[in-house]
Amino acid sequence: MTRYNTSHGTRVLEIALLLFFLLAVAFPLVGMFSRLADPQVREVFGTPAFATACVNSLVVAALTTVISVLAALLMSWVLCRTAIHGKGVFAVLLTVPMLVPSLAHGMSLVYLLGSNGILTNLLHGSWSIYGYPGIVMGSFLYSFPPAFLMLYDVMRYEDATPYQAADVLGIPKGSQFAHITLPFLRKPLVSAVFATFALVITDYGVPLMVGGKVTTLPVLMYQNAVGLLDFDAGAAIGFVLLVPAVIDFLVDVLARDNASARYVSRGFDNKRRPVRDALGYVAAVLVTLALLLPIATFCMVSFVTKYPLDLTPTLANVGRAFTMGAGSYWVNSLFIALVVSILGTIVAYLVAYITARVGGVSARLLHLASVTTLAVPGIVLGLSFSLAFKDSPIYGTFAILILVNLVHFIASPYLMAYNSLSKVNKNLEAVGQTMGVGRVRIVLDVLVPATADTIAEMFSFFFVNCMVTISAVSFLSTTLDMPLALLVTDLDAQRLVECSAFVAVLILFTNVVEKAVVAFVKRYRHAQQTAI
Amino acid sequence: MTGQNTDSNAAPKLSAHGIAKSFDGREVLHGISFDVLRGEFLSILGPSGCGKSTILRILIGLEHPDAGCVLLDGKDITDAAPSKRHMGIVFQDYALFENMTVLGNVEYALRFDPTRRECRTKIALEALASLGMADYANKPVAGLSGGQMQRVSIARTLALSPEVILFDEPTSGLDADARLALRSQLKKIQRDHGTTMVFITHDQEEAFALADRVMVMGEGSIHQLDEPLRIVENPADGYVRDFVVSNLKAKYDSLARFASPLR
Repeated sequence: MTRYNTSHGTRVLEIALLLFFLLAVAFPLVGMFSRLADPQVREVFGTPAFATACVNSLVVAALTTVISVLAALLMSWVLCRTAIHGKGVFAVLLTVPMLVPSLAHGMSLVYLLGSNGILTNLLHGSWSIYGYPGIVMGSFLYSFPPAFLMLYDVMRYEDATPYQAADVLGIPKGSQFAHITLPFLRKPLVSAVFATFALVITDYGVPLMVGGKVTTLPVLMYQNAVGLLDFDAGAAIGFVLLVPAVIDFLVDVLARDNASARYVSRGFDNKRRPVRDALGYVAAVLVTLALLLPIATFCMVSFVTKYPLDLTPTLANVGRAFTMGAGSYWVNSLFIALVVSILGTIVAYLVAYITARVGGVSARLLHLASVTTLAVPGIVLGLSFSLAFKDSPIYGTFAILILVNLVHFIASPYLMAYNSLSKVNKNLEAVGQTMGVGRVRIVLDVLVPATADTIAEMFSFFFVNCMVTISAVSFLSTTLDMPLALLVTDLDAQRLVECSAFVAVLILFTNVVEKAVVAFVKRYRHAQQTAI
Repeated sequence: MTGQNTDSNAAPKLSAHGIAKSFDGREVLHGISFDVLRGEFLSILGPSGCGKSTILRILIGLEHPDAGCVLLDGKDITDAAPSKRHMGIVFQDYALFENMTVLGNVEYALRFDPTRRECRTKIALEALASLGMADYANKPVAGLSGGQMQRVSIARTLALSPEVILFDEPTSGLDADARLALRSQLKKIQRDHGTTMVFITHDQEEAFALADRVMVMGEGSIHQLDEPLRIVENPADGYVRDFVVSNLKAKYDSLARFASPLR
């Protein structure tokens, strides 16, 4: 990579992107945390409510992390190392919970296992899911899919050669697991553990719905900032929430595998073994059911007359939900998601282009700025934006919702583009320069087509997350620009549970359609390429 | 030492004068100077890390020297943009546009040249034909072998009619047959087009088989620049004797053992 032939256009782009991160990330966060200089603001740290919330958060996050990561490891092993049928279907089904807001997970548990829940009535149970059990179960639904994707992606590309060599040498399977599998999975496992912990401890959707009297840190922050308008206390708690996310970020950076150095020499040829495969089926079906049953429940509840008293099927809730504004909020969400997906993909791709293909000091700064956003929980970002931009013209408009979502979700699409662009031949721009073809043309004519699948995935990531997010936008939206996900709590609070469930279904439906469209576009492109 | 031309009457096509270059405080080229004659095939031979690729990148303008200048036909082009130097470069890793067909790769740059835009397909097909690749014109490059990809890469450079072509170890990733085929094609192009060629390699045998002259490099300096036979007969120093002559002799000896029963 050479800086010698970096054009003025590239430099202007670098400066523009650096200014963007300065304005949209550094400025709000520094402004919010500068409040901590006031000793009165820090008084919240000495309150019993804070101490209790800390303990609650740590307990639910630790428990959920253990359950989610173990289940993710089990399912990754089943899908990568057994000979069960329908692996592709299971892999898709296991990630479906990512397509609904975390609020909906909490809500669906109430329908399923609450005091009048379907399973509770069916089994004549007398348990209560409010509190720790509900938060842990809901957080499992919320955090399992990302943990699974992290481990599944690594195990899928594990090289079978060391195992074949070990078999030839007569090394027992137990030793192979201890000395080949575990060292191979150590870094991804550490990453998955910290990522899951950070995801759970910073979520407020699930505890808000099924937390009962158990208050976690994000809920306490939400109650202070939104309920009591005590922004100072909110900022102080937000600072604490940054700690696990920053630790996760540092662990992720230190534990990250060098993907380009890893390649499959020989894939696994899983021979049929009846007992192992039967156990694999049982595990896959049980975990899939655990994940999909709550979703199926809110799908069902959205089409019954009056849950749980009258379960007669009806479409009346659809009309009622739209009368309550679901239609306009849906349009709001679609608008925000589409604009963020387009702008976010462009910004993330441009940043990745600079960091992966141009290099230099600005590129290193941009890389740092982009990945640092991974460490900022949405709830913290939302409050910081609310404080930083409340006197600006964008406050109370779609612009601030678009900006906050773009910043909130940019890190992962950026890393997708960075990895893809890093793998494309390093000399393409040099060839272009010698042939009189500028960087812009090489990007448009060569790099964009070469990374089109990644661009589609980046778009999809932004879209789905914008549809399901509640954290950052809950501080910034008004009744005019409120996204659909926030309507779930609003309707639930009004005891319109069937309408609330329908809103969750609408979000799920939108995301499924979007995923299907992206998959179709990718397949169509591949078919066209093959036809050349 | 500084390289010297064997024919003082021949005008140099390309010259490097006092080129120095450092990366991160480490000097990789120590003020080297040499000429490449018009229509000449010059091999730059040296081990990995001796600075030979850096020279190539400076000659074509992808790197700027810390000191010294580059002349083309006596004109200083040190600060000229790579596309204004009338040179082409062929990389070891082909650097093809994998989303395009073979023809698409070769005619791509011609689309941006107003004088040749209209006849770009004809020019591209001629360039492909000169390398025996015309039949592959409409195939995607992704399915080609390494040798075929490298021929497309050369055709792409040839289509722009450069006065000088620089080759950065173009045969390194190829199998023995493909290397031999490519070598003979390069010599044919040199003969047919009269193009000046600068060829980087760390393979002694290849450098000596192809070149009109060989420039032996080590640790950022030129140890000897001369005709192949003269280098073998009169190595300039111990480095040239060890790196070039001894290696060639060892290869010759091992081949001779197998060749003698065949006689």
